[in-house]
Amino acid sequence: MGNTPKKMKSVSQKQTREGYAFILPAFIYLLVVVGYPIVYNFVLSFKDLNVQNFKLGTSKFVGFQNYAEILTDPKFQLIFRNTIIFTVVCLVFQFSVGFLLAIFFSKKFTLAGPVRGLLLIGYMMPMSVTGLLGQNIFSNTGLVNDLLSKIGIAGPEWLVNTHTALIAVIIMNCWVGIPFNMLLLISGLTGISPEIYESSALDGATKFQQFRYMTLPLMKSSIAATLMLGFIYTFRAFDLMYIMTSGGPLNSTDVLGTYSYELSFTQFQFSKGSTVAIILFICLFIVGLFYLRLLMKEDEE
Amino acid sequence: MDTYNEKGMTKSQWLFHTHEGRIDLRNGILAVVIAVIGLFPIYWMLQLSFKSDQETFGKIITYFPHQFSVSPWLQNLQDKAFLSSLKNSFINGFLTMAITIILGVPAAYGMGRYKVKGRNAFLLTFLVTQMLPASLMLTPMYLIFNKLHLLGTYFAPPIAIASAAIPFAVITLRPYFKSVPVSLDEAARVDGCTAIRSFFSVMVPAVKTGIITIVVISFLNGWNDLVFSMTFNVKENMRPLTANIYKFKNKYGTKWNCIMAYGSILVIPVIIMFVFLQKYIVGGMTAGAVKE
Amino acid sequence: MKKKAISVILAGAMALTLGACGSSSSTSSSSSSDVVTTGATSTATTSGSSANGDVEELSLWHYFDAADGPMIDQLVNEFNKENPDIHVTATFVSREELMNQYTVGAVSGELPDIGMVDSPDMASYIKLGVFEDITDELNDWGQLDKFYAGPLESCKDSDGKVYGLPQNSNCLALAVNMDLLKKAGYDHTPTSAKEFAEMVAATTDASTSTYGFAMSAVSNEEGTFQLLPWLCATRDGKKGSVSDIDSATCSEGLQMLGDFVKNGYMSKEVVNWGQSDAYNQFTSGKAAFEELGTWQLPTIADDVNGAFNYQVVLLPTGDEGTTSSVIGGENFGVCAGSKHKEAAVKFLEYFCSKEEEKSWSEGAGKLPTRSDVTPNYSYEQDAFKVFQEEMNSAMARGPHAEWPTISEAIYTAAQSVMVNGNTAKDALKTAAGTIDPILKENPLPAESSTSSTES
Repeated sequence: MGNTPKKMKSVSQKQTREGYAFILPAFIYLLVVVGYPIVYNFVLSFKDLNVQNFKLGTSKFVGFQNYAEILTDPKFQLIFRNTIIFTVVCLVFQFSVGFLLAIFFSKKFTLAGPVRGLLLIGYMMPMSVTGLLGQNIFSNTGLVNDLLSKIGIAGPEWLVNTHTALIAVIIMNCWVGIPFNMLLLISGLTGISPEIYESSALDGATKFQQFRYMTLPLMKSSIAATLMLGFIYTFRAFDLMYIMTSGGPLNSTDVLGTYSYELSFTQFQFSKGSTVAIILFICLFIVGLFYLRLLMKEDEE
Repeated sequence: MDTYNEKGMTKSQWLFHTHEGRIDLRNGILAVVIAVIGLFPIYWMLQLSFKSDQETFGKIITYFPHQFSVSPWLQNLQDKAFLSSLKNSFINGFLTMAITIILGVPAAYGMGRYKVKGRNAFLLTFLVTQMLPASLMLTPMYLIFNKLHLLGTYFAPPIAIASAAIPFAVITLRPYFKSVPVSLDEAARVDGCTAIRSFFSVMVPAVKTGIITIVVISFLNGWNDLVFSMTFNVKENMRPLTANIYKFKNKYGTKWNCIMAYGSILVIPVIIMFVFLQKYIVGGMTAGAVKE
Repeated sequence: MKKKAISVILAGAMALTLGACGSSSSTSSSSSSDVVTTGATSTATTSGSSANGDVEELSLWHYFDAADGPMIDQLVNEFNKENPDIHVTATFVSREELMNQYTVGAVSGELPDIGMVDSPDMASYIKLGVFEDITDELNDWGQLDKFYAGPLESCKDSDGKVYGLPQNSNCLALAVNMDLLKKAGYDHTPTSAKEFAEMVAATTDASTSTYGFAMSAVSNEEGTFQLLPWLCATRDGKKGSVSDIDSATCSEGLQMLGDFVKNGYMSKEVVNWGQSDAYNQFTSGKAAFEELGTWQLPTIADDVNGAFNYQVVLLPTGDEGTTSSVIGGENFGVCAGSKHKEAAVKFLEYFCSKEEEKSWSEGAGKLPTRSDVTPNYSYEQDAFKVFQEEMNSAMARGPHAEWPTISEAIYTAAQSVMVNGNTAKDALKTAAGTIDPILKENPLPAESSTSSTES
């Protein structure tokens, strides 16, 4: 980056002012629209607001009681486990497959553009429709089991079995996530100038070496952004399960997003719902800090 | 793609008899295979939407409609609110896109280009704002919008949706702005450009590809939104298309043909729009290759 | 090039769909059902406000979306005409979203003037302060005693204050595919749980993927609604109840359903099926028996379309000759903070008057909530009679402000039996662990008052 000489302080001050001018409008917008909701849920998570005391206005602060109750609830533990499994498996698959596809489709061949565009349709569908489609495809006598039976496998009762329902939900989410990852990564890949590869090819580097020592380092920033965003969106997933399985059977596809919704909007345990949301928030916040550290290191280089 | 013309060959000669042609062919076949697998669910949705009720509930699965029926589509389209819902979905998409671009692109530039104090705190804030599940933002956002007299206007849902789309734009565009050579920007400044002029005339064109991606994605955020639009607008004539999902889900149960027709209706306008925009994206990305 | 072709095709398809819509919207959908509507409804609604004086503007939210959709518009229209100083605007808001709106509205205070609510949910919303106490107004009206006790009870809080009126009722009965039953060698319909279980087994035919029984055991209120008749049945002379959910009666009932799944007489997918899914299974001939709701009667003949003979009978949930069912239905209340309380109550009184109850029941295929109404159904008369009879043994859900939590415990127990193969006894013991403490603090109203007082 351009090293501003220390003595040119006025320039750097001007720079800072300009920088703020570009950043602040969006920043203020977000503070106004999202800042209050975060504080609201945070406060609620320390109270005992529920259907019984809502109208009476007798809810009071209860400290960490909600957190203690929720963290020790076996149902929450199951749901937390689901969320972690869902997030990690989805991220691994959608990122690795998305990356492979991004590399493939960043090559120049006749059909690259059109097919790449078509693949994005999966990502463009509203999640609610994807959820309905998943319900159909994974029903007992649905498409997946029909295809499996054609190759002699008796498919499971996907959405009925507590072991397979989450797998089905993960597959549907990957179907959306793969094109999303591909889209984000492909833009980063096309940013790499072809000359770099050409010169390294002359130096006798293999394809793998090229990938390992040229592509990956150059893509680091894009990869980090893609993974971070992927993590946030997967970890707070809601619509897909809400429509496809309603979190069932027996909470086997419930995740933090659906659970906090259910507590607040179905069972009217507002404080507990907010507590689950804040736990989700804290998990993401920690991952966010790691992302930030990575970026800071990168800046130092 | 012009290569084979230059060599005076027909396309098939080029494909089958030159080394690069064969690579192109091989890649093409692989791409088609990937597309068939990746798009099969979409095909499945479309073919289901043209099935009759009997076939939908038939005892054997069919892979294409044996009795072609448009009645599932008509049932959806005959909805008296269809046209206004379509319009509302477009408004939702465009407003979300506009807010995201107007606020998000400059912020991404500011974050990628300037070493401002506390930029990590800014970045963290941008991340943090997406960290609560949307459902739990409903009530507090409703309270704010109520105060600002935004409820029941076309602006309330896009403002809420953009609160997720802006951070997305900042985080994905920031690396783009960083990767643009500083010399470009500096050259413009030397020529006497103000920061704003150089931003518009040099930087934005340089990251066009990324911006188009954000345009598409933020539009889709608005187009696909369900929760915010339904909570902040209860007027029937302001409902987007997505809002019908509950209607259809409850009414039809497993009437898959009707549900899938609904899904197709939601997706098709987006595909059309995307096909047109994709041309620009592909154009932008492969511009260098074609000129070679 | 390929892409261009696709885009042209898509654009063409789009133009077609738009065209189709344009032409069809003018001939508004007065569909196949027996309801005859008077054309353009939404435009007429606005014309009601012709009077120039101070017209009170009222908003009403509902989720009527079947035959009853056009009916509410028409009814509102007539009310507006009769009351030139009041103008009600009816808005469709899907059930899920309406519930969200009430919850958000409880905090923000932004609510419509009149709102519709599913009867088991009303107690929670009353507790949240969504509805206005209209006891005095309704007492002045003097017709409260005309309403059946069960449905009216769901509009009251624990102090007996009234927050709305029950607008329609329904319950569950058994739909029977007579052809399949005959094929299995029976010439009569089941009258006890034991006989029913035998018939379910006999009518199951794996070779044609036909199940004996179809119901909904989905993880929401619909599942609880369909499960309760079997749990709260009469077995060995004892009646099961929610306050005693781990009793032998309840667990035998649930175990029977669990065994249906275990033995393949009922699809395991019932844990994901809503009521319309189960209904679709029946009408497409894939299930010999189905738990049918009153509201499904207007369409069943069309949906079966002569493919087989069917009959509706009392649910054979327990001992020979006994039956049990659950009351469903919708209430309307005046929302808290309404500036037009009087006008809103006036509308409710009109909506739930003797005349309107009658025509609504007949048109929408529902049961009246008033004992002084005798609808003349022009279709499925026998089936309606069965439902009306079933109403006498139908229990109310709650009313209880924490019903959603109770309900969750019940459907979770059922799912653990059907999915994981737990015994009903264990599953219901777990459910009792959730339900009993809630009821200890705030008991359910005496169950005797829940059956209707038809005379």
